[in-house]
Amino acid sequence: MKRVAYVLSAAGQGFWRNPAMSLASTFTVTLMLLLFAFFLTTDRGLQAAVGVLESKVEIALFIDDKAKVSEVLALKARIEADPAVSRVEYVTKEQALKRLQDIADRRKDFVLANIDQNPLPASLEVKLSDARQAKRFGDELRAEIGGGVVADVIDNPQVVDQLLTITRVLSVGGIAILAMMLFVALFVIVNTIRIAVHARRDEIEIMQLVGASDAFVRWPFILEGMLVGALGAVVALSIVFAAAGPVTGAMLDFLVTLPISLGPQFAFQLAASVLGVALLVGAGGATLSVRAHLAK
Amino acid sequence: MIALDDVSKRYPNGTFALRDVDLRIDSGEFIFLVGASGAGKSTLIRLLIREELATTGHVVVDGEDVGRMPRSRVHRLRRKVGVVFQDFKLLPRKTVAENVAFALIVTGHEGRVVHEETERALSLVGLSARRDHFPSQLSGGEQQRTAIARALVNRPRILIADEPTGNLDPVTSWEIIKLLIRVNELGTTLVMATHNAEIVNALRRRVVHLDHGMVVRDEREGLYAA
Repeated sequence: MKRVAYVLSAAGQGFWRNPAMSLASTFTVTLMLLLFAFFLTTDRGLQAAVGVLESKVEIALFIDDKAKVSEVLALKARIEADPAVSRVEYVTKEQALKRLQDIADRRKDFVLANIDQNPLPASLEVKLSDARQAKRFGDELRAEIGGGVVADVIDNPQVVDQLLTITRVLSVGGIAILAMMLFVALFVIVNTIRIAVHARRDEIEIMQLVGASDAFVRWPFILEGMLVGALGAVVALSIVFAAAGPVTGAMLDFLVTLPISLGPQFAFQLAASVLGVALLVGAGGATLSVRAHLAK
Repeated sequence: MIALDDVSKRYPNGTFALRDVDLRIDSGEFIFLVGASGAGKSTLIRLLIREELATTGHVVVDGEDVGRMPRSRVHRLRRKVGVVFQDFKLLPRKTVAENVAFALIVTGHEGRVVHEETERALSLVGLSARRDHFPSQLSGGEQQRTAIARALVNRPRILIADEPTGNLDPVTSWEIIKLLIRVNELGTTLVMATHNAEIVNALRRRVVHLDHGMVVRDEREGLYAA
């Protein structure tokens, strides 16, 4: 117990012996972690958005009224054979009209005039499993327009394409910025611990002289580094969770259009990742610092 | 107990701190290391506790080749070799008892052992009554006795004293020497580097004289100067 008490109290003393430096490094770690949390959340949000949009990526083929059912079924079979396709639905002229009537029934501002003749074409609705294939696939089908079966091709793959580009840029840029911040945080912690080591150099000298193991000498400083990291994590997470409500409120309109969910576990995962990174950076920086001193 | 075989220590700038030193110290001996400042006494002591490594030759302490010992074992060597310095090296914010207990706590001892061994060491050096004083409240002799208690509390087999009386007046110096003699009589091998001719001449113990890094004299019942 004495040993544990010694290590813990030495770590705490180290932190408060030089409060300005300790708080400065806590602040730097907080900034780094905020950035980390921001990228983690944005990345998760974009991935969710891509997922939502991907599930909506559809290509509609309008069928020429003159096409034979056997030709349509042959085309359907051909499309289904493509690995990028998850599902193909054949909507006949009658079904299309029925859908339109259903929509009209539900909406008061939508009055469907009585029509004797069905103007709606039959269609094949293609759902893709891989949104990135949408452009290629749409182009292939468009080439068949005028062949007697395909009358028109409607697709909207640009949104997904753009979103995927944003996600990629954000991941690469985010990792680069994060790496720089990580370096800065590590640097600050190394220096904080170096000062702590310097303040206790007499004590360390005596410890080594009477035969304390290197690990025993190291632990208080590693704990102090982890304390800096943990404090930074607590501050950063407080800010993140305090901001979560207002930010979600501001994004409500957007979220109605695009129902993105970060998943029920996300808050926990975010907190765990931020704390994990904080402790690793703290312990890592301290280890580097003490190692350099003990090697002398 | 301690053996130096053909040991030399050369610093990067080319100067020799020790040159071809052969020395054997048996268990239970009390020896004086004498010689002018810069003769190599402190370097020899630093080799024994592996604060420095010999350039050539072997340093063996309690059966172990200190130079070939991995860094992870050095702390075990230091528990077998207590060291006392001229400047005491006490922690000013800890009491006498805490300074002594510190050596036990940081070497992994717990609870009752810490208390009992600390009291034993304090009573050996005669400081039980001063256990709760801070170093600044003690005389030089009392501070050195605290340092000796700390060096002995882990029950080392060897005690090395580097100029232990260098900062003390003659009367106090004699008190410290008497304490060291008693420690030696209790079975601890004692190596003491000193400039104090009066003490060396009065005690007539083994004297190893270093000059420019070489052993120039090794006498059984020696004097400070030949």
